[in-house]
Amino acid sequence: MGNSVTRELPPGSLQRCKDWLRKELFATRLDGLLSLVLIGSILAALFGLLRWALLQANWAVIQLNSTLLCIGRYPIEQQWRLWLLAFLLAATAGASWGLLRSCRRADRPGLLWPRNDRIAAAVLLAVCLIIPPALGLSIAIAGRWLAIAVLLMAMRWLLGRIGRRLGADAIKWFALVWPVIYLLGMVLINGGFGLTPVASAEWGGLMLTLLQASFAILLCFPLGVMLALGRRSSYPLLRWGSVIYIEFIRGAPLITLLFLGQNILGFLLPGGLAPERVWRAAWVLTIFAAAYLAEAVRSGLAAIPNGQMEAARSLGLSTAQGLQHVVLPQALRVALPVMVGQFISLLQDTTLLSLIGLMELLGTARTVMANPDFLGHYGEVYLTLALLFWCCCAALGLGSRALERRLDPHHLPNLR
Amino acid sequence: MIAAIAEEATQSLILEAKDVHKWYPNGFHALRGASLQVQRGEVVVIMGPSGSGKSTFIRTFNALEDYQKGAIQFDGLPLGNDLRHIEAIRREVGMVFQQFNLFPHLTVLQNLTLAPMLVRRRSRAQAQQRALELLTRVGIAEQAGKFPGQLSGGQQQRVAIARSLCMDPRLMLFDEPTSALDPEMVREVLDVMQGLAADGMTMVVVTHEVRFARQVADRVVLMADGEVVEIAPPETFFTNPSHERTRRFLDQIL
Ligand SMILES: Nc1ncnc2c1ncn2[C@@H]1O[C@H](COP(=O)(O)OP(=O)(O)OP(=O)(O)O)[C@@H](O)[C@H]1O
Ligand SMILES: [Mg+2]
Repeated sequence: MGNSVTRELPPGSLQRCKDWLRKELFATRLDGLLSLVLIGSILAALFGLLRWALLQANWAVIQLNSTLLCIGRYPIEQQWRLWLLAFLLAATAGASWGLLRSCRRADRPGLLWPRNDRIAAAVLLAVCLIIPPALGLSIAIAGRWLAIAVLLMAMRWLLGRIGRRLGADAIKWFALVWPVIYLLGMVLINGGFGLTPVASAEWGGLMLTLLQASFAILLCFPLGVMLALGRRSSYPLLRWGSVIYIEFIRGAPLITLLFLGQNILGFLLPGGLAPERVWRAAWVLTIFAAAYLAEAVRSGLAAIPNGQMEAARSLGLSTAQGLQHVVLPQALRVALPVMVGQFISLLQDTTLLSLIGLMELLGTARTVMANPDFLGHYGEVYLTLALLFWCCCAALGLGSRALERRLDPHHLPNLR
Repeated sequence: MIAAIAEEATQSLILEAKDVHKWYPNGFHALRGASLQVQRGEVVVIMGPSGSGKSTFIRTFNALEDYQKGAIQFDGLPLGNDLRHIEAIRREVGMVFQQFNLFPHLTVLQNLTLAPMLVRRRSRAQAQQRALELLTRVGIAEQAGKFPGQLSGGQQQRVAIARSLCMDPRLMLFDEPTSALDPEMVREVLDVMQGLAADGMTMVVVTHEVRFARQVADRVVLMADGEVVEIAPPETFFTNPSHERTRRFLDQIL
């Protein structure tokens, strides 16, 4: 299936490499000097960081708290639920990945295992082999991580093989698995339906961060699209409502909204209806993100010529059908890079939740650093945090770029 | 006897615009009492100087523009503010635009099947079969899997015509369908339209193509300053028009 395609460097590639170096980095004496200085300082910085990380840093603080950083104070005897969720997510992710690769677009042949995918698979397996021992995790837990990675790749492989036979509609239907998994995950985390409830106060760490971010991302998307459409609507009430919402939310810093949400929602909603602190925060994040997303979608809508809607309407489609099938697919593709940028900053904004006392990643890290046993190990903790966030954001960015390429801009005509 | 003839006449009338006035939101009076009657199976060509309101007029026929005074009837159905009437009429009236307005994110085939499946509730197989028939008819069946951006202008406009035909319209509107095309592609689009006319399609065409008007039109209309100035068969219109305004216009273009 083309996974045996190898790229052979043309002969004399070493020579070409030298030529490139000479041309790009050492063209003139000044260029050469600059290049040497820059390369030298980068190497020095890297070397310093490596020396600190390997010789001076005491990674015990991370090793001993890895569970806390991952899931907070989630009760040990219930942790199997989170493992189950991790396995489910890995299986679904692998299946989606394989399915997307197997269904090529009619006009463009694609490899089943392009180079990027092979690199991603290698990185994933390497991470699962290296990180658990480095964290000093027990064999059993390291084995589970490996099993999760293997499951993901196995599903990727399986759906890559049989995906073509399932046809293009399979992708559409498979997309519905995600919301189901998400709801199931909520039940697994939260309890209920026969599972022992785990109070949201006990959720924490990376899990809480991802939960908050994914909740806000999933819900702010439809809300933002509706606001963007409302802002362009011909009904004055809808239009003014959307404008007021967007401008009000964008005019206030997130942290004030978060404090406001913690205090006001309790008064506004009677007794038991007010959600718990974690959910209040999640809703505030959603409401906040929707306003920014609406502006991104609006810029996408503005890029689509009027003629598109006119053509749809003149074919007999209703306004809703025209939006759904003609205008929105194009507008969302235009807005995709901006939207993903906003999702990434939303993920990072979850760190503000530590200021209202939630034990998400940063909140948990701060309790760790406040522990007298680990005093003074800020560097290790913050570096770990930075790496974790960087990985999540990189994943979002890579995913969006893959999606963008799939919804190929090449076919979009120049916007008139 | 006379009643029967009268009924016959109204039955073959498919579109009637009576004394239509349109003001744009900025207050510009674009249509000043324009009237037109189109019979079933007839080809009407609308000509006129730039800015005379041709596009505005033809776009009121499927409610892409609203109007403030007068009346338009399609097949006995009044075209006013009633959304149900508007949607019913749009299902039966096809429109081809100067800028093609194909859906760039869909393949040619998907462009053609979208409306029949959504609006006429045809099955995918049915819709695709009909789409391929029509693509064959306009001579580009082999491009069905491509995206509009990969086609030439003339091919895109033929796809746009086929897309409208997929809804089996009773009336086709063309707003300068060849004006955005390179000269060597104009012919292929006009040929398709001529074929349509020969098959008995009712068409209202805004165009500057004199040869097409002479060969294909049953009647030619001159619009100027938001009014219909002259309506005549092509022979009379081009050789012996009755209005001074028409003569001046013809002097400019011929
Ligand atoms: N949205 C609008 N708002 C205000 N005035 C408009 C609008 N659209 C068109 N007009 C004006 O209405 C008049 C008629 O426009 P229309 O597009 O119908 O002319 P046309 O006969 O189709 O011209 P052309 O041959 O250039 O296409 C023009 O003077 C134009 O400036
Ligand atoms: Mg015009």
